[in-house]
Amino acid sequence: MILTIWKKEIESYFTSPLAYVLIGLFSLITGIMFFNLLVTYTDGIQAIPQHMAQDISFVEEVVIRLFANINFLFLFFIPLMTMRLLSEEKKQATIDLFWLSPVKEWQVVLSKGLAALSLIFSMLLMTIIFPLIVWGVGIKDFSILGSAYLSVFLNACCYISMGLFFSSISHNQIIAGILSILGIIFLWMITWGGHLNSNYLVSEIFNYIGITSHFERILRGLIGTQDIIYYVTFVLFFGFLSVKSLGRRNW
Amino acid sequence: MVNMDKILVVDDVTKEYPGRLAISKVSFAVNKGSIHGFLGPNGAGKSTTMKIIAGLMPSSSGSVSVLGEKVTPKNFKLKNLVGFLPENPPLYLDMTVEGYLKLVAKLHNVKNISTQVTKVIEELSLIEVRKRLIGNLSKGFKQRVGLAQALVYDAPFLILDEPTNGLDPQSVVELRDFIKRLSKEKTILFSSHVLPEVEQLCDQITIIHRGRIRATGDIHQIHQKFRQGLVIRIGIGEREVLPELSLFGKYEITSDILIGHERQFHIVFENDHDCRSDLGKFIISKGLNLLTMQVESPELEDIFLHLTENRS
Repeated sequence: MILTIWKKEIESYFTSPLAYVLIGLFSLITGIMFFNLLVTYTDGIQAIPQHMAQDISFVEEVVIRLFANINFLFLFFIPLMTMRLLSEEKKQATIDLFWLSPVKEWQVVLSKGLAALSLIFSMLLMTIIFPLIVWGVGIKDFSILGSAYLSVFLNACCYISMGLFFSSISHNQIIAGILSILGIIFLWMITWGGHLNSNYLVSEIFNYIGITSHFERILRGLIGTQDIIYYVTFVLFFGFLSVKSLGRRNW
Repeated sequence: MVNMDKILVVDDVTKEYPGRLAISKVSFAVNKGSIHGFLGPNGAGKSTTMKIIAGLMPSSSGSVSVLGEKVTPKNFKLKNLVGFLPENPPLYLDMTVEGYLKLVAKLHNVKNISTQVTKVIEELSLIEVRKRLIGNLSKGFKQRVGLAQALVYDAPFLILDEPTNGLDPQSVVELRDFIKRLSKEKTILFSSHVLPEVEQLCDQITIIHRGRIRATGDIHQIHQKFRQGLVIRIGIGEREVLPELSLFGKYEITSDILIGHERQFHIVFENDHDCRSDLGKFIISKGLNLLTMQVESPELEDIFLHLTENRS
């Protein structure tokens, strides 16, 4: 059942221009960002004495910055993908097709979430070309590449689960999209709030609830159990809310 | 004990939205193998009742059972036993007809998906559009795809909410014939505004108005029940004057029209007794030309109007 709905969603993405536009735009923007970071990095190395050049880390200057920027791009790309997933189905009453068949709410939420995640996966797949290029020119410092990909992928899971929830509570996809963008900004702001607060305990709580500290740790290869627990809890929490929101028709 | 002659039993069902009562204490039953017409003006509560029966929304009180199983949105046993065509069919406009029907069949765990989809496509004359996007089809074809969606998993009980609404006359006739053919193997509950259509197709009807059931049962029994006295059509010469008929009891002339050289009257006698023989003799004795005399049974439309206007 999950595979059936996932396949339908993927076909729906690729029969409309949406998927091609999103993947194309994402590749173009990340390509420009990568090029700029690479140029800045090589210019930086050439501008300083050779014995100091080893202090400038390729990982810090290019890899981490690039993936932090990809995380920022998700602020717009993921709401664009998730906003219509449930709201449009509710508006057009096509969601009734699921409720007329032996499909459960969680199966609908999971398959739609997986479909959006698949699109993100194919976007990230396009960026594989960047390490291949720098490998070609002799830079082989990719120690954190795997965890960098994992960090943006986990963040995408969170943003998608939140986007799906906002899509489930509204019949209007624009409202669902705006709420998703605001939701992601709010997630970032919680961590900023933690930095501004002088109380240690409050600051730690803010840091844990906000997504940025977890993202930054995993991005640098420091994958801790508390981070994994955070991501799993986050996705399950919003998944649960989406299921409940869809089941509201039964209340 | 479950009555297996009744495929559907709606018992005292009420649906309340915040600040509005959609249907109130609705009760009726649908016999196995029948076509049951569900009639009512716009906003009467037909679609709400049908959605509750299809398990798309819960009722506020009362119960609905299909094939002895209690209907709730979570009763998954019933999902493959009830086919529902809502007023606005749930169609994915970006899918092809064939792809969409395969999706519905998969969602209902149909075993021979290709065979079943092909069968439904052939039955509903969708062969020429099977590879086309639903969004590019005419209203008539979209309605047929909607019906195909309700049929593709071969449910024994079908609920059709205004299936002929908005179709051209040719499509209406074709769809009506198809529904008639379907009734040989399935039980059908269908709503319509078109009363002659209901009279043609249905064995039983339920009339709903302002969320309450006004009449339900066998269509002939309802005709009998709501017959208001004896209606006789009398035709006399165009220049002749109809005499006083109070000899035959209280009466009312409901229409007086000239058809060619004949003046025709619709007369409703309060007394149900068939007085045609005496009436004929009486008119002839007055020196008039009796050109027509016929007893008329009230049309479903008259009953419908009577039930939905008088009590409003």
